[in-house]
Amino acid sequence: MADGLIQRFGALVALGPLDLELSKGERLAVLGGNGAGKTTLLRMLATVARPAAGRLEVLGLDAQRERELLRARLGHVGHQVGLYPALTALENLEFFATLHGLGRAESVAALALVGLSSLARRRVEQLSRGQQQRLALGRAVLHRPELLVLDEPDASLDCESRELLGQLFEGRTVVMATHDAQLARQVCDRALLLRTGRDAGDPWSSHMLHPAGMLGGT
Amino acid sequence: MALAVARKDLRGELRGRELLPALAQFVVLALIIANFAFDLDLVSGPRLSPGILWLVLVFAGLVAFGRAFATEKESGSLEAMLLTPAGPASIFAGKALASAALLVACEAVLLPSMAVFLGSPISVAVVATVLLATGGMATLGCLFAALAAQTRARELLLPVLALPIWVPFVVVGGRAVQAAMTGQSLAALPLSGQPLVILADFDILFLVVASLAARFVLDD
Repeated sequence: MADGLIQRFGALVALGPLDLELSKGERLAVLGGNGAGKTTLLRMLATVARPAAGRLEVLGLDAQRERELLRARLGHVGHQVGLYPALTALENLEFFATLHGLGRAESVAALALVGLSSLARRRVEQLSRGQQQRLALGRAVLHRPELLVLDEPDASLDCESRELLGQLFEGRTVVMATHDAQLARQVCDRALLLRTGRDAGDPWSSHMLHPAGMLGGT
Repeated sequence: MALAVARKDLRGELRGRELLPALAQFVVLALIIANFAFDLDLVSGPRLSPGILWLVLVFAGLVAFGRAFATEKESGSLEAMLLTPAGPASIFAGKALASAALLVACEAVLLPSMAVFLGSPISVAVVATVLLATGGMATLGCLFAALAAQTRARELLLPVLALPIWVPFVVVGGRAVQAAMTGQSLAALPLSGQPLVILADFDILFLVVASLAARFVLDD
């Protein structure tokens, strides 16, 4: 739940004030043009950035004061995949599994979940961008988080890989930023349209259904 | 957790071989340049060796530590690590450990090269001094590297921040290496003035300070 959430970069108000409520198990697509504030919102939800003002509660925890507890319960994929190019796909997941206090079995399972078992011993630098994105998604679900915060997870994914998103979302609360209105419709329950950092309403409940309306943010 | 971070860094470096060969090459080239620049001979070589040793170490350290957090920040993997329960202090300790190991590998080239090029006498006391200084320099170097990684001018900021704070290591370490290379016994010095004890004290002090500061530098 976000209440009067604001993010500033110097004098620029990048987001807000924004109010937002999300129920457990709900999947929210965050839509909007470039610079609309999607990434800014997601970074705050993932506790990567602190809000300049307002209250943010995620999974019943205060996102600022209880961020360590919250982090153990959420999975995040940002703009960059955040993987280690010289390590293999499996080594990357094993490393993050260790940081989560998990073992090799969970890494192997996550790798299988994102369909990369056959590439387990291949270095990340030798994987395609789409395969790296799938691996990053595998890292995000490694510790079975309740909440997934994903910034354009469909970037570089082929049609088959996009089906993977639906599988990963099952039983989880999801907040996903995307430019793909069709994909958002397929995998999310509702949408939030951002325009210059402000809530411009639910694009699926009004005339804004047309993709051009959604993407014409700034 | 810290060991996992260090192991990951060292494994990546051993596979990528980006930093170690360049550092080793830098060390040898710096010694060759010093050899010609100071017109060293059998008499002046050992006398100037401590100064050359610390100059090379300081600049090699800047290169080694400068990359510790910059690449993680650029690739987004630092964020991914911070979102795990590992904690900033563990992540910082792991990065400092890996950076210290890289500098030790660099010293493994530097000290024998000094013996060959400059005729410097390398003893256990010299090695102990250099290793103790490496620990503290890596701790502080990584702390400032983490700080500098948050800025655009990171390559400029790291030397500006780290060099003044490394001065105590250079002063105390230089004194110890000078004494060791001229055949003086470090144990003969009074306890309060023993360079190795002072360096160990610095290491502990800066390790505590850096561990406490890691959270604010990495995560806020």
